[in-house]
Amino acid sequence: MSDRKNIKFDKEVPENAGKTALRLFSQLKNQRVRLIIVGICIVFYTVLNVFTPYYSAGVIDHLLTAIRNCVATGESFSIGNGQLGKEMLSLFIMYVMTAVFYHFQAYLMASVAERLILTLRKQISNKLNKLPLSFFDGNKPGEILSRVTSDLDKVSETLQTGLLKLIAAIGTLVGSMAFMFYYSRLLTLIFLAFTVVSLLVTKAVSKKNLECAADRQQALAYLTGIAEEYYTGRDVIRAYNHGQESIDTVNTAVNELREATKKTDFLTNCVNPLIRLLSRLSQGVIMLIACHWVIYGRMSLGVAQAFFQYINMAAEPLTETSYMINSLQAALASAERTFNFLDAKEEIPDTALPAVLKNVKGKISFENVSFGYSPDKILMKNISFTAWPGQKIAVVGGTGAGKTTLINLLMRFYEVNGGRITIDGVRTTDLSRKDLRHNFGMVLQDTWLFGGTIAENIAYGRPDATIDEIKAAAKAAKVDYFIRTMPQGYNTIIDNDAANLSVGQRQLITIARVFLCNPPVIILDEATSSVDTRTEAEIGKAMKKLMSGRTSFVIAHRLSTIRDADNILYMENGNIIEQGSHKELLFKKGAYASLYYSQFA
Amino acid sequence: MKLILSFLKPHRKLCFFTILFVIIDVIGALIIPTFAADMLNQAAVSGADFSALVVTCEKMLAAALISGAATIMGAYICADLTSKVGADMRNAIYKKTLSLSVSDFRSFGTASVTTRTVSDITNIQFALLSCFQMLFPVPVIFIVSLVLAFQKDIMMGGILLGILFIITIVAGIVMKSTAPMFKKLQKKLDRMSKVLLENITGVRVIRAFNKEESEKKRLDNEFGDYAGTSIKVNKRFAILDSISFFSINMFVILVYAFSGFRITAGHFQIGDITAIIEYAMLALFFLMMAQMVILTLPRALECCRRISEILDFSPTISDMTDRRAEEDKNSNAVLTFKNVSFRFADADEYTLKNLDFSCRRGETTAIIGGTGSGKSTVASLMLRFNEVTDGSIYLNGADIRKMPQEQLREHISFVQQRAWLFSGTIAENLRYGNPAASDSELWHALTIAQAKDFVEALPEKLESFVAQGGTNFSGGQKQRLSIARALVKKPELYIFDDSFSALDFKTDAALRKALIPETKTAAVVIIAQRISTILHADNIIVLHEGEPVGMGRHEELLKSCPIYKEIYDSQTKEASENE
Repeated sequence: MSDRKNIKFDKEVPENAGKTALRLFSQLKNQRVRLIIVGICIVFYTVLNVFTPYYSAGVIDHLLTAIRNCVATGESFSIGNGQLGKEMLSLFIMYVMTAVFYHFQAYLMASVAERLILTLRKQISNKLNKLPLSFFDGNKPGEILSRVTSDLDKVSETLQTGLLKLIAAIGTLVGSMAFMFYYSRLLTLIFLAFTVVSLLVTKAVSKKNLECAADRQQALAYLTGIAEEYYTGRDVIRAYNHGQESIDTVNTAVNELREATKKTDFLTNCVNPLIRLLSRLSQGVIMLIACHWVIYGRMSLGVAQAFFQYINMAAEPLTETSYMINSLQAALASAERTFNFLDAKEEIPDTALPAVLKNVKGKISFENVSFGYSPDKILMKNISFTAWPGQKIAVVGGTGAGKTTLINLLMRFYEVNGGRITIDGVRTTDLSRKDLRHNFGMVLQDTWLFGGTIAENIAYGRPDATIDEIKAAAKAAKVDYFIRTMPQGYNTIIDNDAANLSVGQRQLITIARVFLCNPPVIILDEATSSVDTRTEAEIGKAMKKLMSGRTSFVIAHRLSTIRDADNILYMENGNIIEQGSHKELLFKKGAYASLYYSQFA
Repeated sequence: MKLILSFLKPHRKLCFFTILFVIIDVIGALIIPTFAADMLNQAAVSGADFSALVVTCEKMLAAALISGAATIMGAYICADLTSKVGADMRNAIYKKTLSLSVSDFRSFGTASVTTRTVSDITNIQFALLSCFQMLFPVPVIFIVSLVLAFQKDIMMGGILLGILFIITIVAGIVMKSTAPMFKKLQKKLDRMSKVLLENITGVRVIRAFNKEESEKKRLDNEFGDYAGTSIKVNKRFAILDSISFFSINMFVILVYAFSGFRITAGHFQIGDITAIIEYAMLALFFLMMAQMVILTLPRALECCRRISEILDFSPTISDMTDRRAEEDKNSNAVLTFKNVSFRFADADEYTLKNLDFSCRRGETTAIIGGTGSGKSTVASLMLRFNEVTDGSIYLNGADIRKMPQEQLREHISFVQQRAWLFSGTIAENLRYGNPAASDSELWHALTIAQAKDFVEALPEKLESFVAQGGTNFSGGQKQRLSIARALVKKPELYIFDDSFSALDFKTDAALRKALIPETKTAAVVIIAQRISTILHADNIIVLHEGEPVGMGRHEELLKSCPIYKEIYDSQTKEASENE
């Protein structure tokens, strides 16, 4: 039933492969020495690896002569100290060295990719703190998450197993082709002809494969959509006895995905056998010609043998390379997404010489403030009001009226497009963000707890608080009793998606958090919207205590909680259309009054 | 493992052919160098016959074609098999989740079940495919290459056996020592994602509390931890890799060294050197491919465990009978609670205690209480989304446990606290409970639900597109549409679970007024927090911490029930004070 055309999925091909690759490579700076050693090892390994069959060709020919001699003279065979013995020894050394170089590069490389990823991840965690809040509004958490986890893991995997193999493979391919060419131009050309055919085949199959992969992504996205929809709407499906229909729909989506998966998997897995088939056919033809030459003495047996080894040596990288180029592309696409994230526009940095505020009284003024989430769409125009120290300011209005935006501007989560906001007469942009925010205690509609103990969560703003202070804050927020009933009391581990806490209880914990911080200005953004009215009345008493003597901003849905505010700002479409005390506004019989009466009719 | 086997079982034939083709593939891979060696041997003999060579070459080409065809067919059958297993698993999971009770399902969580249905199974399927294509050939190639090597020469075969034995032992040791690390790695990955997600969702709080620095440290710790463990694992595999590589190289040397003796002794031919070295190289190549698969296996196994967890879950509620129960059509009470108590399976405390009431035709029963008083659980018991712990519930006189769940739900329209619409059109959504409803019936329901105006204003009216979950409508609009959907069904019992809270007071009042004539013959249950919503109910049940602390009409309760009075005061007192 859902719209299938607008399903988005991550691309598998980078937009600018070269630039991304260079940038990725430049991140390896701090591992330069290690990389150079690895590079040298790979060069030696590849050279030795390619050279050994050439050398062994001579050994085999000498071996054959020695054997023929033995058979002819009837002596028993021995390697001895002669030419053959020396050659055997060198061959032995070569093989050992190849293995040693192989080991070095593999072992050293084991950490290179992960270290690179760690550098990138640390850049991301640094970046997270510099991004403006608008970035988080526009990007889903899951998308950001996949930049850090799956995208980078893909890069790491490819670098780990792939990149070196690719380099070694290309080296081996070139090297073995050179030796083959040296041995016989004709045979090499035959091999090349088969290679060209297999490259064409690979290309055709890969192209088809990309199409199928896109189909599969689409089918996967469609199934994900249905699964999400049906699992979330499960109660409705069951209440309306739609179980069987939903099973049928899921079956259809699953089968569609099955077909697409089958095709993609098959195409992926048939490339290698196809190439292998072609290379085996070429081996047959080449061996026939080579043996013909051996019989007529135009080629030695050792060379024929070496040639056969070279074909195998060149054919395997061929399959690997085609496979690697695909996954390298996907990895670069992943890296590109990560870099795009790292390049996202950052917040305006703090002023170089920030003013310092001490003993904040809590006078806050908005002076002709204008703001829009994008400069061409100004939402707020010339807003002005002043909150005097100790005043309670209430912000009311419908959804989307701009209540939370007002708070976001005050906290400098967003930058104003015009006008200024001051705290105790100092412009907020003249302060460091840290210093500014230090003055606010904020409780949001969305409760946010992190994985840790309840005590740690309450002490979030003041990690040095003693357990007694924490308990006092919990008592003030009316949550102490509940915490003590938890299995480990204050040391109970909780999660942001903790199932063991109700929304209301989570909210109370975040309120306790602010109690502990004791800031001069309090902001409550629909703080009690998730608790019932009775509990709200309970918390209200504690809130009152918290707010007394401090400037406070309260956004509330239920007007009963803000009746006693010193100044009520009624917002609509981003602008303040009425302001004054409860009585003044009721007397005015404007928008506030009608909203108020609608709630208490 | 058991899970995989049970899902492979129905596709026995495909399994058989997949395995058969893998074996043919491996034999093909080994027989090619064997023929090549034969050709070299034939050429090495002085005065060789070229036509005999051509015959061997033909055999080699035929072998290449046959094994190539077999491999490609194998790839197809294997893809068919694994995609079928994946599809079967997905269907099984979805079917299973439908049978879970609300609390069963909640113990998994929507997001987690979705992940299991989609990406976990994708992982399993990919791992299974890789196992067939890359892991399974390893023992096959070990055995076949040994057989062929022993055929050539006992001594050479013996050496190969020794080398492969050493590699197998080393591989075994590395696998065993890294297995727990992989588990750790998976956990660290989960932790990393969790902390990161916390950082993203909590960005406002973090900045408000000036915690950027400490959060960055927390994240970097997780990242570093993960990288450290990964490097350890990689190093072990690098060692395995080099040892295998080294062993094979040693084997090659040994072959060269001993071949002279064996050939002069007549056990071996010069071309066989090529063949036997190629066997070892191929075995090594397959082993290295297998290593890449093994890296992905722990994750796949974890996914299997998560799938089994759902499939093996025994649901707390299941139909005890397929037979429809006899209902008393004349019963005045549609639904009756008799001494009902309810406790979640893993809880010590009862969520609901001693509920005793009836929902009668033409009457409105209201349930009110604070957060956590168990209000919504009452609705889930009515629909048998959860099973009563003690007592029983009767539908038209019949125990709801003694009928199929479908029979019970045929009688009920349920409107949830959080309205959920399905993607499609408005009409499709409204006909959800009654596919035969006419357009005029739909408009009628929309009128009562106070949704007519905004639906009429839409360019395509009833055929307007609804996005998944109804996200293209406002909260209040969604709620009104879901109420209309309930009305179209025309049931005997309506359950409104906090369904009016998203509406403003005016709409709430108008809707309830319009509902009265519409629900004359049906029983209505309203679960609410707002007193104004339930003021006129025929019977109000006040819940406090799971227990009914008052029951009766509004006026009676104001006098007799202090908790009710408290709720009432908290919602209205200040207003009346002022006027």
